[in-house]
Amino acid sequence: MHKLSNKVRILIFIVIGFAIYLLSNNVDELRVYQGAQVAVYVVGIASIILLTGYSGQVSLGQGALLGVGGYAAALSQLKWHLPIPATFAIAILAAAGAGALLGIAAARLSGPYLAGATLALAVGLPSIANQFTVLGGEQGLFFDVGFPPSSLGADFTQYKWFFWIASLATLLAIFWLQNVMRSRYGRTWKAIRGSEVAAELAGVNVARAKILAFTLSAGVAGLAGALLAMTIGTVSPSAFPLALSFSLLTGAVLAGVTTLGGVIIGAVTLVAIPEIVGSIVNRAGASEAIASNLPHIVVGALLILTVVFVPNGPVEQMRSRRLKNGTSL
Amino acid sequence: MKSFNRRKLISASAILAVTALTATAVPANAFSPKSEVGVSQTEIKLGITLPMTGAASPGYNKVPAAMKAYFDYVNANGGVNGRKVTLVVKDDQYVPTQAVAKTNELILKDRVLALVAPLGTANNKAVAASVNPGKRGVPVLFVNTGFSGFADQKKFPTTYAILPSYVMEAKIMAEYIKDNFAGKTIGLVYQDDDFGTDALSGFKSAGVKFAATVGYASGSQSATTAAGWVTKLKAANCDVVILFGVSSATAAGLGTAAALKYAPQWILGSVGGDATTIKASGVPAGVLYNAVGASFLPATTDTSDEYVSLFQSIYSKAVPGSAFDNNVLVGMNSAFVTVQALKAAGANPTRASLLAAIDSKGSTFASAALLPLNYSKTSHVGYNGYWFGKYSPTGDLKPDGGKYTLYTTDSGSGAVVKSTWKRPAMPAKGLPN
Repeated sequence: MHKLSNKVRILIFIVIGFAIYLLSNNVDELRVYQGAQVAVYVVGIASIILLTGYSGQVSLGQGALLGVGGYAAALSQLKWHLPIPATFAIAILAAAGAGALLGIAAARLSGPYLAGATLALAVGLPSIANQFTVLGGEQGLFFDVGFPPSSLGADFTQYKWFFWIASLATLLAIFWLQNVMRSRYGRTWKAIRGSEVAAELAGVNVARAKILAFTLSAGVAGLAGALLAMTIGTVSPSAFPLALSFSLLTGAVLAGVTTLGGVIIGAVTLVAIPEIVGSIVNRAGASEAIASNLPHIVVGALLILTVVFVPNGPVEQMRSRRLKNGTSL
Repeated sequence: MKSFNRRKLISASAILAVTALTATAVPANAFSPKSEVGVSQTEIKLGITLPMTGAASPGYNKVPAAMKAYFDYVNANGGVNGRKVTLVVKDDQYVPTQAVAKTNELILKDRVLALVAPLGTANNKAVAASVNPGKRGVPVLFVNTGFSGFADQKKFPTTYAILPSYVMEAKIMAEYIKDNFAGKTIGLVYQDDDFGTDALSGFKSAGVKFAATVGYASGSQSATTAAGWVTKLKAANCDVVILFGVSSATAAGLGTAAALKYAPQWILGSVGGDATTIKASGVPAGVLYNAVGASFLPATTDTSDEYVSLFQSIYSKAVPGSAFDNNVLVGMNSAFVTVQALKAAGANPTRASLLAAIDSKGSTFASAALLPLNYSKTSHVGYNGYWFGKYSPTGDLKPDGGKYTLYTTDSGSGAVVKSTWKRPAMPAKGLPN
């Protein structure tokens, strides 16, 4: 595939950034808050795409890595009073470290075994917080990025501030991820995903490449975790449930797991589902038990339907269909 | 040719993001911003978050229907200055992150005037930190938690406590233990978060010595974990055990202890001491018999009390077949106080006028409680005391000696003293002016 030059790519990202800026000034606070959530999901989903779509490894426990990032950010603020950008950096490093350890184990596992191991992580890791008082138990820890600078004006809301921070972090992360995926490493991972044996014969150190993929993916997940902690103001075991891991996975499948292009589709869908389901449930006057659980069921159903009907995700599907028809521009 | 594809993808996704967000934004913008948020010509909209499902929900999930029952009674009798009071209910499953998300929905999407009776210490703290109703000027009326910190006006400027604090409850309980169970071996089961630690600090300041303390993580309560608590309490030979947790934890403790043939003198904290909820969890009424309980409201079976008899008749019509219990009484009483606050806030209530009205007139509001409300410009403390009683063979809490003896104190180092306060008569038909 031909590539856009870096200059053009940077220009595109600046245009997207400007569009986000305009957007943030023209929607109400609820949409701005949801925009920040979308940004969190974009980063989280991108971390899965790097891992699964490129290096071919499966993780059902990405939510746990988000948790590592979130707790690292909150702890570094609480204990060392670091400035916010530094807490984000710590979140990335801590999660990447955890990812490297996980990657070493993962390099020896594959397929369902790897899925099982990462699933166990998603189930087990959050409850560690209940064992150590420094992690704040079930109640968790507060993570406060502070009020927007007063120079932005009195009308500048807290959520707009979250949205700006999250959007900037997301754009940087996606730009960086694209670079990595276009690099030698990206090609190496693709080769491994295609055929491990062939890659090994071609001189690729498969284990090392896999561990690297896990490490980088976990670092990105850690950033998502810190952003998530920012938008909800706290980290606690309940902020990183198993459902988060599955939601991110669903988002990645919806986005098309082999390309970053559809990542926004997955993220917007994840934020839109609870809202749409909620309004339907409200109108139907259904019980609270249904209202609380229906969004999870819809996410699950969507995952199954996508895998059955558009296994590569809608974006990839459109692209391949267009290529087949020869109508591509 | 493929190079254009990549570019198209990126720009397409950007356009998608923009259109998706702006398209969905339209209905929200269509809201007319003329009057105060949550107040229209015909309606005053309030919101509540609490566990309607999940481990902590038993008992508390009756509160919204109880509040609505009273609001509807007021609505049927002219409303609040001609406006109907409506309540938007959101289930947070007693999970702080859910409480944050649901409170955001209430404020940003449902656009309520105020939050009323949101439940849970950890939940309200998370909401205060993240949603920050204080900074937004959104009133958080009559939080359904006894965490003493919520009366701190610097930290929570728009929040009003209503329940007596856990510190007060622990101090008064300590006094009761001194008078009735001197020399006994005492054990404590508490929720290991700010709810429990608030009580711990109260017991500590009152000088209670525990032979065993068991902290449980919120949400972990079950028959299995309760077996662990019982083992620890048994091993320490506790004759008197205080259960200071939510209803489901109290029920788990009582039920499991009974199954393991462990029968100390139980003392139940007011949060988890609702008999209907405990019995509904499968604990036989006989297990509750003679346990000590505390309340600041009249006993729910005391039909000679004018509030209890009125609220009972309103509730039984609104929610037929549902038992009138302490959670219902707490809910209806909070709704009753809320209506007075709304009326005091003027013909066209705003968030600011609502807060000002409670500060200036809150201490004069009528209520079912046997203790006064302590609201003023410098105090967001609600009720400040308890009476103690024992559960009857059928599991109803009855005051000791058939008479309410009320003790009062503060959340600091103040002494525990008998209250001499007399409750004024109920407004005619339970409809405040």
